[in-house]
Amino acid sequence: MSSDKKLTVKRLVIFLVLAFLPFCIIVPVMWSYFGEPIYASENPDTVVANYCVGVFGMMVPSIAHLLTRLITKEGFRNTYLGLNTKGKMGYYAASVIVPLACSSLSAVLVWAFFMNGSGFGDTFNNFNIQSIGLFLLQFAYSLIVFFPAFGEEWGWRGYMMPKLMELMPKPLAVIAGGIIWGLWHAPLTVAGHNFGVDYPGYPFVGIGLMCLMCTAMNAFMTLLTEKTKSIYPAAFVHAVNNNLSIGVMFTFFSNEEAMMKLGGLSAVEMFIPYIGVLAVIFIISMVFLTKNHELTIDN
Amino acid sequence: MSGLLYKNFRINRSSMIFTLVTAILCGLTLIFAALFGYTLRGVTPVEPASASSTDVLTASSACYFLAFWLPSMASATLFHADENKTCCAFAMSLPQGAKGHVEAKYYYLLIQALGILFIMFITDTILTAMLGGTVSTTAVLPLLFSLHLFLAAVEIPFMILFGADRGLQIKGGVVLAVFAMVAVYFLFGDISWFIENEDDPLGAFMAWLGSGDIIFWLALFPYISIAAYYISCKISVKIYRKGAESYEQ
Repeated sequence: MSSDKKLTVKRLVIFLVLAFLPFCIIVPVMWSYFGEPIYASENPDTVVANYCVGVFGMMVPSIAHLLTRLITKEGFRNTYLGLNTKGKMGYYAASVIVPLACSSLSAVLVWAFFMNGSGFGDTFNNFNIQSIGLFLLQFAYSLIVFFPAFGEEWGWRGYMMPKLMELMPKPLAVIAGGIIWGLWHAPLTVAGHNFGVDYPGYPFVGIGLMCLMCTAMNAFMTLLTEKTKSIYPAAFVHAVNNNLSIGVMFTFFSNEEAMMKLGGLSAVEMFIPYIGVLAVIFIISMVFLTKNHELTIDN
Repeated sequence: MSGLLYKNFRINRSSMIFTLVTAILCGLTLIFAALFGYTLRGVTPVEPASASSTDVLTASSACYFLAFWLPSMASATLFHADENKTCCAFAMSLPQGAKGHVEAKYYYLLIQALGILFIMFITDTILTAMLGGTVSTTAVLPLLFSLHLFLAAVEIPFMILFGADRGLQIKGGVVLAVFAMVAVYFLFGDISWFIENEDDPLGAFMAWLGSGDIIFWLALFPYISIAAYYISCKISVKIYRKGAESYEQ
């Protein structure tokens, strides 16, 4: 291994340790303090604690990025903080439209698979000026979610992925990066985040699903980051994705009966159509990424 | 572009520090108010939809508004700094031209507004945690940010065309005229579409507010303000040369 690669590995290891450590400490401490898995609890105090862990925890990868650059004296080149919009506006538009389409399509798939007996028009019969207004307000709220999303993206796509791509071919780097990103969520998943705690195969199925989702998302976000050489499109994807889930779509546009049916589904069941949509995004993103990779090798 | 942005940050360092310190002070005021509310008065986390929760909502909204509004008072300094013929001629001779020069100012103001939004978001998160999660004003923040952008979008073309001081006066005049026209319309015009029951206009207005129709128009505002900011930038680029000719040497 060349000395350059050794240095990259060293920097990557320092970054990952700094990024992983806070959740690995905070979540078990909070679990023992409250005496139950914090994300599956109905105790109002844990709800507040979860919110704070979510907001500040998402900023940890950025802090790890900053600290790694300072500790290893790497300097501040290639930080991906520029906008680079010239001729790249399509990627910026895609960063908002694709996650929005992904959530909408997943909601349609949830209807197709789980709302048996109920027509599409009957299920989503709440299209009025008020619900559209509420949806637009929620969408505008992505502006706020952008900050924690940027906190994650500047670490993962802004530091980890370029380092991984230095060490291995792009497709492999995308898969490895996605798994690392999914495993970073593991302490939260074990504490009931996203899937709860009462599903078959807890917590390994949850961690596995999270790794799958993160790998698929990672492909699309890495594609956007590589094409624009900017971290902001990936942060937009993350913000819109976190802000407009399937549940949010149902809350605004479906009727009470559909909401009750949705409430009867487990989080894992609801996740399966979403993973299906993400798989398509993953394949398309990988095709574009690999095409670009082959061109680079030819050049 | 990064060079032009750096120039703006360098020249307006004190204005930027003022902006951030103001936002931090507004945030700290709220946090300390909540903290002393606990320790001095022994207040427990406020109940949702109670009088104390309304107090918190009003106080935090006012502080957030102040944090966005005070820096906008100092926005003229950004244009004052290079408001003479020599600077303008130099800006136009740069590779990025007048376009880059004007766009850098728009980016600067956007970064400034995002900085305030971030500080207010962190403040709100801490406040929400301190009050036991019962009160949160986070939903107000995108609207205040949009208002800030919208006002900047209206203000900047005037400042570029007529100079910072005259531009501010003209903008003030235009805003006042629009308000006067709206006031005259609401006093003497046909407002039956808005308030159906003229015997009880306040009751009808409150009913309209509660009907939910307003949410749609309110929800459009962030999108309108972002579009307005973009269009304002394009207009400012176009009128920069004309404005520069009227500046003093």
